[in-house]
Amino acid sequence: MNFSVVVSQFWPLLINGLALGFIYVLISLGYTMVYGVLRLINFANSEIFMVGTFATVIVSRNFFGFNQNTDPLHGFKLVYTLGACLLASMLVSGVTAVLVEIVAYRRLRAKGTNRLASLISAIGVSIILQEGVRILTHSVPMSNPRLLRKAYIFNIGSVGLRVDTLLVIFFAAILFFLVDRFVSKTLLGKAIRAVSMSEETSKLMGVNLNRVISATFLIGGMMTGAAAFLYETVYENTKYNVGFSIGLAAFTAAVLGGIGNLRGAFLGGLSLGLLEEFAAAILGTQWKSVTVFLVLVLVLLFKPNGLFGEAVQQTRV
Amino acid sequence: MNKNSQRVLGVVAAAALVLGSVALTTAQAATKSVTLVYQGPLTGTDAQTGQDELLGAKTAVQMYNDSNPAVKVTLITADDQGEGAVAGTVAPGVAANKNVIGLIGPAYSGASIASFPSYKATRLTMVSPSATRVTLTDAKSPDNGFPFFHRVVGNDALQGPAVVRWSIDGVSSPKVYVIDDQTPYGTGLAQAATAYIKKMKVNEVGSDSVVQKTSDYTATVAKIKNSKANVVIYTGYYPDGGALAKALNDSGWAGVFAGGDGVLNDAFIGVAGKAAAEGAKFTAPAVPFETAATDAQQVAFTKATGLKTAAGHVYVTETFNATNVFLSCIKLGKLTRAGIQQCVATGTFLALDGKTVLKFTRQGEVVGGAPVGGFQVVKGIIKYFGAV
Repeated sequence: MNFSVVVSQFWPLLINGLALGFIYVLISLGYTMVYGVLRLINFANSEIFMVGTFATVIVSRNFFGFNQNTDPLHGFKLVYTLGACLLASMLVSGVTAVLVEIVAYRRLRAKGTNRLASLISAIGVSIILQEGVRILTHSVPMSNPRLLRKAYIFNIGSVGLRVDTLLVIFFAAILFFLVDRFVSKTLLGKAIRAVSMSEETSKLMGVNLNRVISATFLIGGMMTGAAAFLYETVYENTKYNVGFSIGLAAFTAAVLGGIGNLRGAFLGGLSLGLLEEFAAAILGTQWKSVTVFLVLVLVLLFKPNGLFGEAVQQTRV
Repeated sequence: MNKNSQRVLGVVAAAALVLGSVALTTAQAATKSVTLVYQGPLTGTDAQTGQDELLGAKTAVQMYNDSNPAVKVTLITADDQGEGAVAGTVAPGVAANKNVIGLIGPAYSGASIASFPSYKATRLTMVSPSATRVTLTDAKSPDNGFPFFHRVVGNDALQGPAVVRWSIDGVSSPKVYVIDDQTPYGTGLAQAATAYIKKMKVNEVGSDSVVQKTSDYTATVAKIKNSKANVVIYTGYYPDGGALAKALNDSGWAGVFAGGDGVLNDAFIGVAGKAAAEGAKFTAPAVPFETAATDAQQVAFTKATGLKTAAGHVYVTETFNATNVFLSCIKLGKLTRAGIQQCVATGTFLALDGKTVLKFTRQGEVVGGAPVGGFQVVKGIIKYFGAV
């Protein structure tokens, strides 16, 4: 065990853990919102993330023509380029999520099949998406050109804080806040919550079930797409299987916080990001996954609904 | 067309088919053919290594077939993506192909271990151009490929010390941090490097083990910075090595990033970016083809591959040498798996330069070992600095 690293590198570990955690938060929204309305795990969400990363890379490389030798951008050009990449990722992931809902879930739901059929159908769509991209890219990883200079914008003590990690934290926090408000305050948000509480009663109250479910997939997909854009801003690489491990981590975060619960996903994502970062630093990176899943098992043993599942039930989507 | 015409046409067609098949059989008898297979990562994140190695195999086979031999050689490929899990599913099919009499590869150590059961069971001889894990030829290890596995490169017991020597070369007061990627290759090379660090009393300030395909290296970077290391040795492959080098550079860390032959690849620069890749050092039990080949071999390389030069492509020489081991045996009339095994085990072969003699020990290593070369990224290009 190496505790000295926590003393000397506390702030970078904290900030990086939060940045990673916020990426988990946005992806876990895709899992938790769908679970809220359908009581199903959307296993294709990791591929919705993957297509989002490719959207950012393709827009910056093919639409704007940037490459590995291009200098990072400044001013207005930086803002609209990042904005275009973000928009592309959110749109592509959102539309993909809606298509997944139509292809993998809607027809099966209409036929009244059991949940297992939908689960297998979602896994099938996930594999089709992943293998499709693998074939199209010849399994070769793609680098995202550096759009944002990774400069240190201010210091805490002797440690500098980097602009890209702070951007992730700031932007993801705003997006989460907006989604939370949307679900709490708008008519559609109330419909989503109504469906999550009782599908039958919602139908009797005149809620258009298909529209609400599609909207849920769209919002969850767009949040996952935003996470994909932020991931590319920090890590600048993607490949066909990029969604697997990060999707698994985000799903774990959703379960840790209490799946089906928006604020649970928020707290679960941040907890997981910080836990991973500090466990890797103190125990060694090889112990990161062991630690995370040990904690998850212990939490579920004592709190089967997740850490915050019951405490904030009223925020359930 | 009346019925008589149809009958005549039918007879003519049948005769043509019979004559055609007789002619084909005669032609096949005149130009007998055997098959060699190259196994390595031809797709997947490590595809560049396999595609590079394939250039060497194609060149050797092209030169052989152009010399109008009595037995022609067909080269086929088996893509294991450099992963043991994939290799385990690919190898049975290769082993079952009775036309295949020798295997160039497997390229990677983990894939080799996963493939051994199939090839041992079907007595298929292997000559690898790049699998360097020590245990592959260690009689005491359950992972060994004896007596069918051979390699024309030096193993990690040679490369481990070399990567340490080369990484700290020119660094005053080196403080070394060693990271492996949890693969059989990565852990083996890290063990060899660490053993040499201890033996030579070099200051090792830390170590870590980061699973392949990790995106987030921030905790590892924090530990490296905390340790005040000025040399990082990464024993894994270039997709992950490039991402780690980029993360280190982005963190403001300034030191020597070094790796073994798994990281030595032009694609490393693409993943890491030019700034992070600049100055990175690599070792490989490999000699660049363009520095060792004769003019005739360079011409054959271009003819076989369509490329002007082999510069920037790794293990071309070693794959050429591995392929030539089989071709030499075929020239001697060894056209069965048993014949090839006996020939490879006991024969003496010439390397690309026409001077170096390759002969295998009983366990499949090159007698006398093989040199380990030092490489470095200079102005965005990987340059060879000779044996280190």
